[in-house]
Amino acid sequence: MVGHPLINSPKNFLLYLLFWVLIVILYLNLIVLDREVELSKAILDIIVFNVLLLGLGIGFWFSAKYLSIENHKIFRIISNHLLEGAILISLWLLIGYFIVSNLVTDKDAYTNFFFATLKFRAALGIFTYFLLTSFYYIIIYYTGFQERRIKETELKNLVTEAELRSLKFQINPHFIFNSLNSMSALTEIDPKKAKQMIIKLAEFLRYTLATNDKQMVSLNEELKNIKLYLDIEKIRFEEKFEYVDEIDEICGKAQIPSMILQPLFENAIKHAVYETLDKVVLNLTCTKQDSFLKIVLQNNFESESHKKGAGVGINNIKERLRLIYQQDNLLEVKKENNLFRVTLYIPVDEK
Amino acid sequence: MKDKVKIIIVDDESLARQISKNYLSRYDNVEIAAECSNGFDAIKKINELKPDIILLDIQMPKLTGFEMLELIENPPIIIFTTAYDHFAIKAFEVSAVDYLLKPFSEERFEHALNKAIKLLDDKFSPDNLIKNVIAEHDKKIETLERIVIKDGGKINIIPANEIRWLEAQDDYVMIHSAQGKFLKQKTMKYFEDHLEETQFVRIHRSHIINLSYLQHLEQQETDSYKIILKNGHELPVSKSGLARLKATL
Repeated sequence: MVGHPLINSPKNFLLYLLFWVLIVILYLNLIVLDREVELSKAILDIIVFNVLLLGLGIGFWFSAKYLSIENHKIFRIISNHLLEGAILISLWLLIGYFIVSNLVTDKDAYTNFFFATLKFRAALGIFTYFLLTSFYYIIIYYTGFQERRIKETELKNLVTEAELRSLKFQINPHFIFNSLNSMSALTEIDPKKAKQMIIKLAEFLRYTLATNDKQMVSLNEELKNIKLYLDIEKIRFEEKFEYVDEIDEICGKAQIPSMILQPLFENAIKHAVYETLDKVVLNLTCTKQDSFLKIVLQNNFESESHKKGAGVGINNIKERLRLIYQQDNLLEVKKENNLFRVTLYIPVDEK
Repeated sequence: MKDKVKIIIVDDESLARQISKNYLSRYDNVEIAAECSNGFDAIKKINELKPDIILLDIQMPKLTGFEMLELIENPPIIIFTTAYDHFAIKAFEVSAVDYLLKPFSEERFEHALNKAIKLLDDKFSPDNLIKNVIAEHDKKIETLERIVIKDGGKINIIPANEIRWLEAQDDYVMIHSAQGKFLKQKTMKYFEDHLEETQFVRIHRSHIINLSYLQHLEQQETDSYKIILKNGHELPVSKSGLARLKATL
């Protein structure tokens, strides 16, 4: 809930006093100037009535706060404030008159002056009441609006994060168990190679587990990890595939979301290398095109392997890129003859 | 002296075959008749060499272990091996077939092998056991992407989208495809349940059609319809078939 805007902030209280200078000027013009009244009486009148109303004005806050726009009907709010305004201003006039008339020497003369200016006093009081009450409502509405906006932004970020997390590359259990099986075999057949493979798998897993869904890494780092992955798969598949890359030098340091290329390679291994009896060539190129990094992975496959279009893995990358860069069409898939080609466009931060 | 137990190892990864070979080398009473790295080769070798036991991997290119099983006549005793396959493991559990989860220990391997050899000594016929595994596995798969059929010595792989229509023929189903006609020993219910339901509709007790091969639907009399396929072939439509057809279209 919103705290009192004047009591909780000295700056606002100062502004409030400044506002009272205006009210006092209004008061002088409407009630005191051009009237026949002694100076001492006039000064006493001004001080008593204005200090009283200034104090009351701070109190108007509470009725605005408890008769909130969200929770009450507009008719009820208006009628309540009309009644409350009338009562408070009457009270103000009554108390003010009581104090001043008891302090002045010539009570009758002051009474004449007071009643002659009563309608102006009432009008000014009502005016002040509604001005301040409206001001309080604006503050309440604005603060609530800000809070809602902050909450909405937070909520949106939370949703995006959750979405990203669910899209994040997950270690494929097939890969893990098959690798473990290969290593188990190697411990008998070629212990040295088994050790190498274990170390590579450990490095690969460490990278995969350490990077989170939003983290950016350099293309070189990501490629280093992919090579670990391919080395491990190579032990399993031996001569069944070959990896060739052509990376423009300026691309190596560019930042890309971590684990964004990994699923592409996994997809190629799963659908092409695994389903094809011939050798598969995985060809990766990276060039800079305008403000984008253009990354292309191409591989041959057997056209008669009847797997359906782009898999879940590729769609997940597309969705991740959309969420990270707020842009569609950052991923293209093309399947023609015996070639499968995925193109990624990663926006580059130009500094 | 008894003959040696003949074993064939089927696995697409050479290291996986190697470890089984190493384990088996410690037994005097077994001999490795063949090693196969894919399903086609394995079917050929199995028919040729008539092994007693097969060590069979499930995930293999072209032809999975399950698809292979459908194509082997009088299958021998099978020890399944798999690294990670939820559906397969469920099927093995339910049908009480022994299986090895990779990587497996030598003790676990020995246990499975001894069990298999004992079944062999008891002249156990694994036919029903294997039918059960296939049936259990069929229940688990959602959509069929391809069908494998053995036609004489040839193995045909028919992608689901190349099927034109299916026709019930006693205990078999005749598959009419772009590649020709093939008989498969399955039920119409099996195909109705496992073919992509937005593409295939059972229009009649004995017919399922691929909607992309449908030319048009023709009304003959009130409440009586027939279907004309793209090749001009006509098929009857039953009342419930018409309702299913309308729901899909």
